[in-house]
Amino acid sequence: MKDKDLDQRQAAGIDRRQLIKGAAAGAGALALPGAALAQAPRRGGTLRVAIPFNPAAIDPMTGRNLPDFDTLYAIFDALIDFEPKTLELKPGLAKSWRFADQKTLVLDLVEGVTFHDGTPFNPEAVKLNVERYKTDPRSNVKADLVTVDGVEVTGRSQVAFKLNRPNAGLPVMLTNRIGLMVSPKLIQEKGPNLDRLAVGTGPFKFVEWQDNASIKLVRNDNYWKAGQPYLDGIEFRIINELNTVARSAIAGEVDLALNLQPQQKAIADRSSNVVASANPSLVFWGAFLNYAKPPLNDLRVRQAMNYALNREEINKVIALGLGRPSSVILPQEHWACDSATANYYTFDLDRAKALLTEAGYPNGLEIESFGWADQVSMQRQELIISQLAKAGIRIRLTPVSPQQAMQSFMIETKGSMHISPAGGFPDPSQAYEALFGGSALRNAGKVELPGFRELMDATMSAADLEARKAAFANLQRFVVENALQLVQYVAPGVVIQSKKLQNFQDNLLTTPKLHEVWLSA
Amino acid sequence: MGTSVRLVGRRLWQLLPIVIFATLVVFLLLQLVPGDPALILAGDYATKERIEEIRQLHGFDRPLIVQYFSWFWKVLHGNLGTSLLSSAPVLDLIMQRMPNTALIAVYALVIAAAVGISLGMLAATRVGSRVDAFVTSTASLGVALPSFWLAILLVATLALDLHLFPATGARPLTVSPGEAIRHATLPAIALAVGVIAELARQVRSALIEVLGSQYVRTLRAKGLGPMAILWKHGLRNISVTLLTLVGLQVNRLFSGAVVIEAVFAIPGAGSLVAYSAVNKDYPVVQGTVLVFVVIVILVNLTVDILSALLDPRVARE
Repeated sequence: MKDKDLDQRQAAGIDRRQLIKGAAAGAGALALPGAALAQAPRRGGTLRVAIPFNPAAIDPMTGRNLPDFDTLYAIFDALIDFEPKTLELKPGLAKSWRFADQKTLVLDLVEGVTFHDGTPFNPEAVKLNVERYKTDPRSNVKADLVTVDGVEVTGRSQVAFKLNRPNAGLPVMLTNRIGLMVSPKLIQEKGPNLDRLAVGTGPFKFVEWQDNASIKLVRNDNYWKAGQPYLDGIEFRIINELNTVARSAIAGEVDLALNLQPQQKAIADRSSNVVASANPSLVFWGAFLNYAKPPLNDLRVRQAMNYALNREEINKVIALGLGRPSSVILPQEHWACDSATANYYTFDLDRAKALLTEAGYPNGLEIESFGWADQVSMQRQELIISQLAKAGIRIRLTPVSPQQAMQSFMIETKGSMHISPAGGFPDPSQAYEALFGGSALRNAGKVELPGFRELMDATMSAADLEARKAAFANLQRFVVENALQLVQYVAPGVVIQSKKLQNFQDNLLTTPKLHEVWLSA
Repeated sequence: MGTSVRLVGRRLWQLLPIVIFATLVVFLLLQLVPGDPALILAGDYATKERIEEIRQLHGFDRPLIVQYFSWFWKVLHGNLGTSLLSSAPVLDLIMQRMPNTALIAVYALVIAAAVGISLGMLAATRVGSRVDAFVTSTASLGVALPSFWLAILLVATLALDLHLFPATGARPLTVSPGEAIRHATLPAIALAVGVIAELARQVRSALIEVLGSQYVRTLRAKGLGPMAILWKHGLRNISVTLLTLVGLQVNRLFSGAVVIEAVFAIPGAGSLVAYSAVNKDYPVVQGTVLVFVVIVILVNLTVDILSALLDPRVARE
């Protein structure tokens, strides 16, 4: 009986937290009927959203970039969902999950869900999707499934992921691309290239995509979460120029503008038509270091650079105070971030100079670096260069395009440093592996420090969330103590919204889910 | 008439080498730009192996000349290829976007011709007056003003403050002509200002020369009124110059659209080529450049034919 109640609540899209929230809201409504009624969701209307990036594809398998999720999350549901503010896991198309053993992840699926084309969502659909993600030659997500040998259908509404080694991060990764379920009918009838076609189980159905211009979605009337979504549809307008996005929002031509920079918040704050907000994100501004060769193979030099940075000043000048100065790669809101070492390096010029002297550079040293050539990046780089120069670290900067910087530094292993943003990885294990793993593209020197692998493995084999948190705290300390990155600040996710938009909540990925928002009259 | 037909034939024959040369230059220039498109295609979480796989998948590992002629062979069969970034057919992308660019370019040309020629005539007939001084100084300013700056100014005042026009976007002319014109007005004005200035200056100096010539003095002596001299003789005599000038300005408008479309968030061919060039989506850049080259050649051809019709001496030459 208990399970049945749970199923009904989940079929209706209500989890325990929502139930408590709902009860609290209900009590509030009784006490303040007028105010509560004003907050009641209103059905109808098309939400106009401005986004600065054209999706690479609307197929989760071949998309490439984080902003793709602006549209993907509206069309597709993931097997596992997450709390927007902390990214803690919650049920999605899987109502529950557990590790039967270290190499078997069992998912119990929500029943009665159908894809937009009427195809039932079932264990076979999960198996087909995962196999496609794992084996298709065009798949960009194969690396996410290297620990998965295959998926077995183990019940009418149950699947088991069979792993070749422990991967406690897999449930988190199922909130991302490899967890997004595409209609088997679409795969079989229209595949293999589904870059411009999308049929999921999500709150909105795909209608049309005009490349780099607009994407239109309409309400999925048969959405499995009862009553949702509230909107009749969403129209994404793709506007590449960020200031134009801001002007479009101020002029009332869009209701929501996503993926902006602090400079656009400053523009929007001057208008009374809109509300601009800056939220923490999973993206951080930092510098990749090649610690395989001198001078950055010396820990003392890397630490000196970290002490020489005045992160508060960088955040204030470049991010207009909207970012969060940090020494680590995760925002403090993230469940895997340990606040004890989050601000490990504080600005200390004397200590930086002492470390350099100790390392054999009493007169300072020169470091060759790559950076981006756009205006804001140049301002950031000039500030970093001037700060490091005070400690005697002279940066010889080559400003180029992001792709060129990546190619020169990471592939051709030129220079010692690359000032660039990074992050956005759904699972922190992925983030640490992608940044510091021995074969990681971003680890230009391809050196894995002794002790790193053991700490990484501990995060992958941790039995529960608390154990994982502890494992990540250790890993974070290791990375920050060894100064493997030159993190400056956690980048803010800037959003501009009209006052008509209600119940909007951004998330750490800065790709909000829109099934619960509505437009007031 | 036979001369005109020969002219058209000759020009069309010249089209092929120009197109091949233009697309080859664009292709080579794109290759010179540092950065590997495979890095963009592999995305944020790429591994080195995946980048290599993508290189092979798209043939980036083949010799450049092979890549170029493979593209050109498809073009000869009517296939402009597909976008590397979004897998959309390039021809579809151009067809979707070119009407927006054409609308603001033609609208700007109409505004520029009406205003620029009028101002030039006004100044030429009042040489040394305050009107002349105003036109020449304003024209100098117009030539110097960056169109993107003017565009931002127009948006800030006429769209955001006064709400007279939309700040961004475009509407299809075929669906809602009124809304399409309204959306295109600010971009067209921003584009037109430079052209107005250029036309006003050129028309003024060409007309001053004609109106100061001996045969005009003779016409005046014979008692012909100033308006008749201006309209029947002055303008007719500068018509070929004017036509050539307008033809050149069409090319300028299409290139100016690249910046203006970004400021007004217009999904046009200009913004398409800019976005694709930054992201090394070379099939789209080459396809769009090909279309632009054809447009420029056709505009020049039209100018040549009209010039030949207006002045038989041109056809004989």
